[in-house]
Amino acid sequence: MISKKVILTGNFGVGKTSLFNRFVYDRFSDKYLTTIGVKVNKKVTHVDGEEVSILLWDIAGEVSQDKVPVSYFLGAAGIIYVFDLTRPLTYENMDRDIEHLRQLLPDSVIKIVGNKEDLLGSEDEIQQILSGLNHECNLTTSAKTGRNVEELFQELGKDLLERA
Amino acid sequence: MTSEKSIKGMGGKQPNHNDEMMLSMLRDILLREDREDIAEIRDALDDPDRLAEKITPIIEFHLETMKRKFPREYQKQVDRIVERKLKASQDELLDVVYPVMGKMVRKYVNHQFVSLKEGLDERMRSLFSAQGLKNRLKAMVFGVNEGDLLLGELEETKIEEVFLIERDSGILLGHYSLTETIDRDVVAGMLTAIKSFVEDAFSKERQDLEMIEYGTYKIYVQSFHQYYAAIILNGAITASYKDKLSKRLLDFAEAEMQNISLDGEFETNEQKLSARLADYFKE
Ligand SMILES: Nc1nc2c(ncn2[C@@H]2O[C@H](COP(=O)(O)OP(=O)(O)OP(=O)(O)O)[C@@H](O)[C@H]2O)c(=O)[nH]1
Ligand SMILES: [Mg+2]
Repeated sequence: MISKKVILTGNFGVGKTSLFNRFVYDRFSDKYLTTIGVKVNKKVTHVDGEEVSILLWDIAGEVSQDKVPVSYFLGAAGIIYVFDLTRPLTYENMDRDIEHLRQLLPDSVIKIVGNKEDLLGSEDEIQQILSGLNHECNLTTSAKTGRNVEELFQELGKDLLERA
Repeated sequence: MTSEKSIKGMGGKQPNHNDEMMLSMLRDILLREDREDIAEIRDALDDPDRLAEKITPIIEFHLETMKRKFPREYQKQVDRIVERKLKASQDELLDVVYPVMGKMVRKYVNHQFVSLKEGLDERMRSLFSAQGLKNRLKAMVFGVNEGDLLLGELEETKIEEVFLIERDSGILLGHYSLTETIDRDVVAGMLTAIKSFVEDAFSKERQDLEMIEYGTYKIYVQSFHQYYAAIILNGAITASYKDKLSKRLLDFAEAEMQNISLDGEFETNEQKLSARLADYFKE
């Protein structure tokens, strides 16, 4: 089995911890407990019959990625960059953030995720936000309903295996 | 005149004897020079000094030509190979060098420690506390040095767990524990996160975290180039104890980590390394 370090990063309150909890424990809470420092957890996923052990680092949100301690990123094979579909402040500087991450970890898999899609009314509304982004988004998710969370990690696992 | 006689005698009563004499003389006459040459050569071959005298100039000449030609023809090639090899195996190289450097540093530190202990011995000699007297008595009875006794009392420290962790990713490479630990991958990850955080936040120049204290537990951390070891300890930790741990880790690194590929199958390595860790750290 291979082990990979994956980092959840993005702005404050976008739902990184919620995605982490949904993925690892399959649970959700409405309470907002901001993350201090880092929390690490592990989950073994099955991708095309192969096992991948994902060591997930849920780090404290920062308004911009260059404020995150660099050492947290070292050795990461994958990055999940999360923004909040309902708060423009969390995706306005997305292009700069992604550029920064690319430079830090040129060989890593980066997944860009718009979270809290359950709060948006219709598919049209989601599409409208996505078309206004300054960077491509890979997936929209809801940690609350669990929609696309498993898919996110499946896609990520597949990409990680391909690069292993 | 005698020779005439003997020549005459050739056809006489003792033809065999005279024939041989003649032949021998002939041989002597005809082959003398050759024989002398052969003897000369044999002498030269048997006498190392003389042999060297003859051969050395030839060898020197060839060596000289080699020396002159070699750099021009091969140096670039060799340089390129060495350079490529160094670049490709920088990490491996560092991991090979690390324990050696570590041992050198350790030796130095150990030396400092010994001098400290000596200073301590000195002070103890003038100490008249009850413990001091007791120690002195003990020392007299058992023939042990007082300083050793004092340090020995502090040294009852227990190794609870040993983690071997990939430096940046925090992925667990090997683990030894007295009891079964449930979330060792997670612990390894968190230790790495804490280590990263502390090293990031508090050190101006690059410096490695060495000790984390948590309640009665202490976590001794020793960094290598691509991985680090974290040893969870219960009890007081003296400099000499740290030194002992460090030495054991360096021995382990030298013996077990050189041939391990860190980006391979983690699980196979983990089982192997965990078993070896137990060999080194089980008390
Ligand atoms: N409706 C809805 N709420 C969500 C979703 N994901 C997270 N939340 C809520 O958003 C708030 C913040 O979520 P967290 O997961 O703590 O956010 P975070 O990114 O970890 O925040 P920091 O640790 O401070 O960086 C919490 O109140 C969550 O309940 C979602 O998909 N839908
Ligand atoms: Mg959080």
